[in-house]
This record gives sequence, structure tokens and C-alpha cells, in this order.
Amino acid sequence: MLSVLIWLPVVGALLVGLWPGACAARLRSIALAFATAGVLWSAWLLRQFDPTQPGMQFVEFIPWIAPVGLHYSLGADGLSLPLMALNSLLIWIAIYSNAYSGERPGLYYGLLLLAGGGMAGAFAAQNLLLFFLFYELELLPFYLLIFLWGCSDKRGYAAMKFLIYTAVSGFLILGAFLGLVLLDGSSSFAYGEQSTAALPLITQLILLTMLLIGFGIKIPLVPLHTWLPDAYCEASPPVAILLGGVLAKLGAYGLLRFGLGLFPETWALVAPGLATIGAVTAVYGALSAIAQRDIKRMVAYSSIGHMGYILLAAAAATPLSLLGAMLQMVSHGLILAILFHLVGVVEAKVGTRDLDVLNGLMNPIRGLPMVSALLVLGGMASAGIPGLVGFVAEFLVLQGSFAAFPVQTILCVVCSGLTAVYFVILLNRTCFGRLDNATAYYPPVRWIERTPALILAGIILVLGIQPDWLSRWSEATAQAMVTPIQSAASQLKKPLPSLRAAATSFSPN
Amino acid sequence: MDLAIVQSAWWIPLYNLAGAVLALPWSPGIIRKTGPRPAGYLNLVATLFALTHCLLLLREVWGQPPVAMGFTWLEVPGLTLTLPLEISAVTVTAAAVVAGLGLLAQLYAIAYMEMDWGWARLFSLLGLFQAGMSALVLCNSLFFSYFILEILTLGTYLLVGFWFNQPLVVTGARDAFLTKRVGDLFMLMGVLALWPLAGTWNFSELARWAAVTPPDPTVAALLGLALIAGPIGKCAQFPLHLWLDEAMEGPLPSTILRNSVVVATGAWVLVKMYPLVALSPVTVAALTAIGSITALGGSLVALAQIDVKRVLSYLVSAYLGLVLIAVAVGQLSTALLLLLAHALAMALLVMAVGSVVWNNISQDLSQLGGLWSRRPVTALCYLTGCFGLVAALPLGGLWAQLEMVEGLWNAQPLLAVLVVLVNTLAGFALGRVFGLIFLGKPTQMTVRSPEAPWPIVVPMTVLASLVIHFPIVLATIGLLPGTAANPLAVPALMALVGPGLAGVVLGARLRPVELPNRPVQDWLANDFYTAVAYKNTVVFVIGLISQFVSLFDRYVVDGLVNLVGQLSFLGGEGIKYSTTGQTQFYLLTIILGVVLLGMLMI
Repeated sequence: MLSVLIWLPVVGALLVGLWPGACAARLRSIALAFATAGVLWSAWLLRQFDPTQPGMQFVEFIPWIAPVGLHYSLGADGLSLPLMALNSLLIWIAIYSNAYSGERPGLYYGLLLLAGGGMAGAFAAQNLLLFFLFYELELLPFYLLIFLWGCSDKRGYAAMKFLIYTAVSGFLILGAFLGLVLLDGSSSFAYGEQSTAALPLITQLILLTMLLIGFGIKIPLVPLHTWLPDAYCEASPPVAILLGGVLAKLGAYGLLRFGLGLFPETWALVAPGLATIGAVTAVYGALSAIAQRDIKRMVAYSSIGHMGYILLAAAAATPLSLLGAMLQMVSHGLILAILFHLVGVVEAKVGTRDLDVLNGLMNPIRGLPMVSALLVLGGMASAGIPGLVGFVAEFLVLQGSFAAFPVQTILCVVCSGLTAVYFVILLNRTCFGRLDNATAYYPPVRWIERTPALILAGIILVLGIQPDWLSRWSEATAQAMVTPIQSAASQLKKPLPSLRAAATSFSPN
Repeated sequence: MDLAIVQSAWWIPLYNLAGAVLALPWSPGIIRKTGPRPAGYLNLVATLFALTHCLLLLREVWGQPPVAMGFTWLEVPGLTLTLPLEISAVTVTAAAVVAGLGLLAQLYAIAYMEMDWGWARLFSLLGLFQAGMSALVLCNSLFFSYFILEILTLGTYLLVGFWFNQPLVVTGARDAFLTKRVGDLFMLMGVLALWPLAGTWNFSELARWAAVTPPDPTVAALLGLALIAGPIGKCAQFPLHLWLDEAMEGPLPSTILRNSVVVATGAWVLVKMYPLVALSPVTVAALTAIGSITALGGSLVALAQIDVKRVLSYLVSAYLGLVLIAVAVGQLSTALLLLLAHALAMALLVMAVGSVVWNNISQDLSQLGGLWSRRPVTALCYLTGCFGLVAALPLGGLWAQLEMVEGLWNAQPLLAVLVVLVNTLAGFALGRVFGLIFLGKPTQMTVRSPEAPWPIVVPMTVLASLVIHFPIVLATIGLLPGTAANPLAVPALMALVGPGLAGVVLGARLRPVELPNRPVQDWLANDFYTAVAYKNTVVFVIGLISQFVSLFDRYVVDGLVNLVGQLSFLGGEGIKYSTTGQTQFYLLTIILGVVLLGMLMI
């Protein structure tokens, strides 16, 4: 079941990579066929999935390296299944949107598929070590994709930065996993079999901090974010779609699955700090975006801003806020994908991403009217205009977090206003204004460039009007994830201990 | 009661929404064969359907108790979002006004925008606006009111930015979007804060909650201030008033709707949430202050405008300021009456002015004049609109303001004086416009000026007859404010009619293109230099902070990362030269290492 989602792209990758001497177009069709099969398979899984069950479904288990505790164990719940579906969709979009005509097409399409398989594996894994393996596995294709097919001379720098940051993130996560299993004596790496309740609070704090920094790099949180603008900007549009649309979600997914799932007692302790970091990340990302002159970089910074909401929601840990966080992951993935795709089309046609040069693309005769219209839709979805999917997710996050962290929530509302500011700057400079007749000889936009944006726009609109179709998958899981936190909080009965109190009363021995 | 018509009340916004969506294929480049016109006709028909449905529905619900309906939109643990509709005589009347004015505006647009290529976009957006407004008046929930107001904010951005290749339009659209968004987001904070307190967003339940378990004064004040920010932005009230002026760069047919009903949506929501506003005296005082400042400021600024559309836009702000005052003192029915009278009269004024602008190709008051003999129909329509707004002849504006003055005189006489003052100033401003356009000698721009084509004249005259008959309709249904019983009626009437009439006549006679005093003229013409003040404060500060954050990000956060990279690189480069290839050197390092290790172990 779930294995298909992982191995189908991998088989496709091998096939495409080793196909003898074929032209790019044929390789693209083969890769597309595998990606389409993945989308269909995800759709079928969504149909089979029972949203009323909070637990893992489609469970698979094959014993593997028993002495280390590493088994091939998969499953999906309301947190991971929508992300797997998003992953399949964005892989399809990434392959479809780009009629690649450079060198080594086999390697290019192969790496895209391989990255997709790796990410599906990370979402599906039910074993800490297996998760880590997949988490590291997708790193390599992404590094190569940025390094070999990046946009400018800085691609080597960007790829190396991405590699080092993500590798550090991986080490921290592995360290936390190993420490956790060794210390709590469960000697099993299967999800849900570790119990942190017996560990001294300070140990828990250390392990949780390692996880938070590890996943915080991936999300990314300020100030661990500087790999992101470089990596997103250097990556070609399809790779940027995958990086921003799915890979960043892996960090948020890990934060919810492991940070929240494994450390319910400690979570309440660090929650105020996390909420503040989330709000700071949101405002910082938005403010940085306002100052950018490069539209792709602007979208990259906007991504940082929006991921801050997820951290705020995770910190609040109410059923509503967690549901909002899960929705935000999917909605942000869709919105970022459409924005990166359109920015890529603009760059390909106009030849620049510079706000000071772009102008008047809405012009119906010589501009890019449909691309502009879709860009307006994407920007407004990102700014949280109701009726589009971004609003639903952000509203649930804000409403779910307001009671717990009013100040941070209000900061995030302010950030939503700043989002409007930079998207208005982007749209006014790019789409509005007078087109320069002397230079406006753009190649026509082809349907393979329009279709992905139209599909994404359709999903953004439909889910915004009918959010039930998105929220139903995750409701039960969100509710179930909160239960341990709430019981932990009620056991503590009373004002939560401060960090200092925790450090003094539970000195490590 | 015909149940089928009442039960299907929720279709009313859907007609226009369908029209808006169906018009899109006529955007440039998709359907070419027919030209863009079908998009307009389609929306006209959709609006006609909506209006018919409203009128049929009005007949059913007239004098009946309100009917409630609900649709569940989103149901998640801890939050059920139901869209409640309230079908009552008041809400359906409001929907009918929206549909009626929308129909007239769209008919008007067919002639006014004859040569424009952007039909599909224009009509689609007009349809979206009408759908949003009729949904807003029918819905009975604070959350969905916010929801719709926010969509209308986006609509304003796109509609003001209609002629997007002109620089003033681009900045106007930007400012309209951002100012309204500021108001909306404060309102969102209020909406978010309300749920944990009240557990409902339904206006009726909120009123009950406010009566039974009022929150403590600080919370109530903060909540009220956050909530009124949304309407303040929508109604173009100080300090969020700039956008309406700049929005005049948009196409005129959309201005008909914007100046009459779109701005009124804010006041409508304010009336709906009055029980929450009334919880805190701080909020009420803020509302009164904002309304008064805008009413006085707006009517003063209108005196010095050279652009005729801008005269009207500042008067819109001024009259909505009066509406805000009426709400603040609790005269809700007066507020709605004034809102309705203002909507009809202002729509008529914009239509009449547009009819002149359309074929004299200028909205600059200094270039117009002498049109009375050439454009009698337009002139009469303009006068009708003028007296429909200014309390001078017994039309809608007089009755509403009369009721307001009577109510205010005993409680807050200063506010009553303010109403009289605003009325006089508005009369002068409208009289001045009348004088400059229709009286005096023809100018170069007005020598040839036939009456506009029928799609412009018909909606204008139809609306003029509505404005004239408005008091009669009110009297028929028993809503005309009683005057005989109140001892204040006669003095209030004299206080309004005398100065109001004098203002109009004086304005028409004197018709100063510019005020005699240059600094005062500049000060008022530039809206007290508010735009400059914003540019030098808020905009400047946000720009500065974002530049700072960006530089901090590049040179400090990223700089630190690069520094670590550089150091390790330099370290490697440095050590590289220690690899000399001489055996003695390697031997030395080995011995040194052993000694060091040995010392450590001992």
C-alpha cells in the first residue's frame, strides 16, 4: 500500500536514469507516467483511508536489522497522509511543468523522482531509524538538483550551504533519537514505544532541544534560516516547488510527530518560548520579504514567515491549532508551489526577476495576462484572503492559539498584514503598471506552463470554499495528538513550572 | 408566505456570483469571436434575477417576523462555523437596494465603458461586489461579515486598479487595499478574541451575551476598538480615509456602487454589532470622535477639491461620519435611514457627474461650466441628488438629519450643531459644483455637449425619480419620522433647512474655483496633508525596519554563517602549507603529539 508510494518513484528513477540513449521528451513521458501513477495511488489511498480513526492505517511491517532495532515499518495517519498526497501532486507538477531540454535529462528526472520517493518514505516511516534514513536519503537528490541545475553562479555555494545545514539537522535528530532510546530503556525505535515520562525533566529538555534545532533548521526557524533564501533562489522552479512545498513540511511534520508526540510533558514547558519564536519567525520573514528586490527571494522569505504560524500552532497544542497546523502545511505547500511556478514562468518569459525592471505584465495583448491573474490569486491566497485555502488554515491556527498565546497570535495577525504589503508590492510592480513596448517581445506562454498553475489554483479555490474536504482527514488525528498533552498538563495541575524551576528541581545525576 | 421564495433566499448572492464567474471566459484571449460584450449583458441579466428575487421576497417577508436559516461551512473539533442568514424586511430591503443600484450601475457601465477592452474584468468584479454585498446584508454572523468584508477589500483593489497602466491608479489600488486591510485585521483580532469569551459569532446571540455577561471594562474597550476598526476602514473614516479619495482613479460605474453601497457595508456591520460597541464607553467615545472629525474634516476638504469626483468622495466620508455618530449615540434606525438616503442620493450625484464627465472628457471643475442649457436632464438629476443629500428640501436627507438633530439636541447639543454645520458645508460644496458645471459661461470643454446616450440617462432619471419619491414611500409604509409630536421639530427644521438652502445657493452663486486664501486652499485641497504625514511616518518606518531586518539578515545572521565557513576554509588552507613532505617534520609532529598526550595522561 504505502510502499507503492515510495518504491514506485524509485523504480521510475532507476528506469529513467538507466534508459539507454533516449531523448528528453521520452524520458519526461516515462517520468510523468510514474508521477501520474503516484498521484492516482495517493487518491486511491485517500479513498481507502478512514478519517474517523486517529491511529495508523495501511500499516506495513517487515523485520529488517533486528539487532539495531531498524525495521521496515510504515503507516499513515491524518498528519502524514495529506502530506503524502501533496508530495505526489507536487512531484507530478514539478515534472510536468518543465519540458527539460538541457544535458543529462535522465539524471534530472531520475533525481526528481528519487527525491519524491525519499520524502514519501520519510512521511510513511514508523521507525525512528527508518525515518532518519529517508530523511537523509532525500538530501542527496536535492543537493545534486540545486548544484547541477541551479540558476546562477552561486548555485555551488547555495547547494553546499543547504547540504551542511541539513546534514547538521540530521545529526541532531539522530542524536536525539539514539539518546531517547538508550536512556529510556525501551530499546525499540518503533513510533510510540518510547516513553519519556520516566526521564528526568532536564534530560527531556536536552533531547527536545536537539530535536527542535534539528527540525528548526529544516522548517526553518529564525535564526536557522539562512540556507533557505539561497537554496530556493538558486534552485530551478520545479526544484524550488519541491523544496518549499514538501521538504520544508518535513521539518514541521517532524516537529509535530516527534517533538510534540514524544515529549508531551516537556512540551508545555517550552511552549511559550516556541510560540514566541514562531511569531518572531513570522514577522521577521515578512519584514525581510518587504525589502527584497528579487521576486523569487521575496517568495522565499514569505515561506519563512508562513512556517512561523505552524510553530505557533504546535506550541499552543489545542485540537483546533493542531488541525490548523496540519492544514497550513498542505495549504502553504499548494500556495508556495503556485507562486514558485509562476515566478519561474515570469523569469523564463521576461528574463528577469528584478522588481525594478518588471512592469505591466497584466497587459492583455503583449503581457502575460493569465499568468498575472494567477499570480494575483496566489499572492492573495498567501496573504490570507478568505475564500482561498490559506485563510482557512491561518484562521484555525490563530483561533486555536489565541486563548493560549494572545500576544504571539496578534503578532501573527500583524504579520498577515505585512504579507499583504509585500504581495501588493510584488503585484503592483510585476502585473500592474505600463508595459515597456520596446522590450515586450515575450515568447508565448504554453499550456504545459499554464496547466500546473491552473490545477493548483483550482485546488486552492475549491479547498478555500469547501475546507471540509481538507480538514476531514486530520480531525481525528489532531484530537488524538492533543490528549497526551492535556493529560500531562492536568497532571502538573497548576501553573506550569518555569524553566528555572525545572532546572533546579531536576538536576541531572 | 410563499415558502419556496423564502427558502431560496440564499440564491440572491449566487445569481451575481454566477454572473461574475461566467463573465471570466470573455477575458482577452479566451473567447474572441463575440467580443467582450456578452460578459456585460450576462451580468445585467444576473442582477435582474437577483433584483426580482429580492422584490418577490420582500413582498413575502414584509411585516413578518425574521426567518433564520443556517448552512454549516466548517465543522471541526471545538469550532463549528455555520453561516446564519437572517431573512427579514430590513435585510431584504438592503439586498434589494444593492441589487437595484447594481442594476442601474451596470446599465450605466454599458454606455460609459463602451470603448473599454476590460469588460469581462469590470463586470465580473461588479458582480462579485454585488454578490458580496447582498451576502453581507443577509448574513447574521460577525465571522462571515469579516469574511465578506475581506473579500470586498480584494475586490476594491482589483476594481480600483482596473486601468492598471496608469501610475496613479496603481498607487490608488495599493493604498485602498492596504488601508482597508489594516482595518480588517484589527477586526480579525476582535473576531478572534470574541470566540473564547462569547463562544458565538451570531449577532443575535452576541447581543444576548453582551446583555447577560458583559466582559470587564478593559476587555470590552479593547474588543470594541478592534471591532470598529473594520467599519472605519470600509467607511473611509479618519484615520483610514485616504483610500476613497485615491479610489476615484477607478472607473466611474464602479464609483457609483462604491460611493453609495460599498462604503455603507461598514456602517451596516457597525449597526449589527452595536451591542458589542455599546459595552464600553471608551469605544462609543472613540466612534463619536472619529465620526465627528471625519464629518467636519471631510466636508471642509470637499470645499477645496478641483476634481469633481473627489468632492463627492470626501462628502461620502463626511456623511458616513454622521452615520457613525448616529450609531454611537444609539440612534440605529436613524443611522440606517441616513445610510439609505445617502446611498440613493450619492449614487445619483455620481451618475449625473459621470454623465458630464463622459462626453466633456474632463473631471476638472475649472474647465467646465455653462451646461445648464445643454444638459437640462443631467442638471435636474444633479439637483435632485444634491437635495436628496443636503437637508434643504423635504427629500430623504432632510428627514434623516431632522430625526438625528432632534435626538441629539437634548443629549449632546454640540453634535447637533455639528450636523447642522456639516449640512451647510456639504450644501456649499455641492452648490459650488453645480455652479461650476452648469452655470456661468461655456468653456472650451463644454461648448459641444449633447445629452448622454440612453443607457446613461435612463438609470440616472430612474434613480432621480426614486430619490424624489423616497419620502412618499417612507410615508406610505409608515417609516417617515414623525415631526408633529416633537417640540424640537420646528427649530430643528429651521436650523437645517435655512443654512442648508443658503449653502447650496451661495455655493452656486459664488462658485469659487479656489478658496480666497492660498495656504488654506492648499491645506484643504491636500486633505490636511494626511497622505504626506503617512508617507513620512508609518510607511517610512515600516520601510526602514524592513531594510534594517534585511541588512541584518544578510550581514549579521548570514554573515556569521559565512564567517564560520570562511574560518574553516582558511584553517584548512593554512594547515595545507604545513604539509611540507619532509620526513623530519612529520617525525617532529609525532613526537610532539606523543609528549603532549603523555603529559595529559600523567
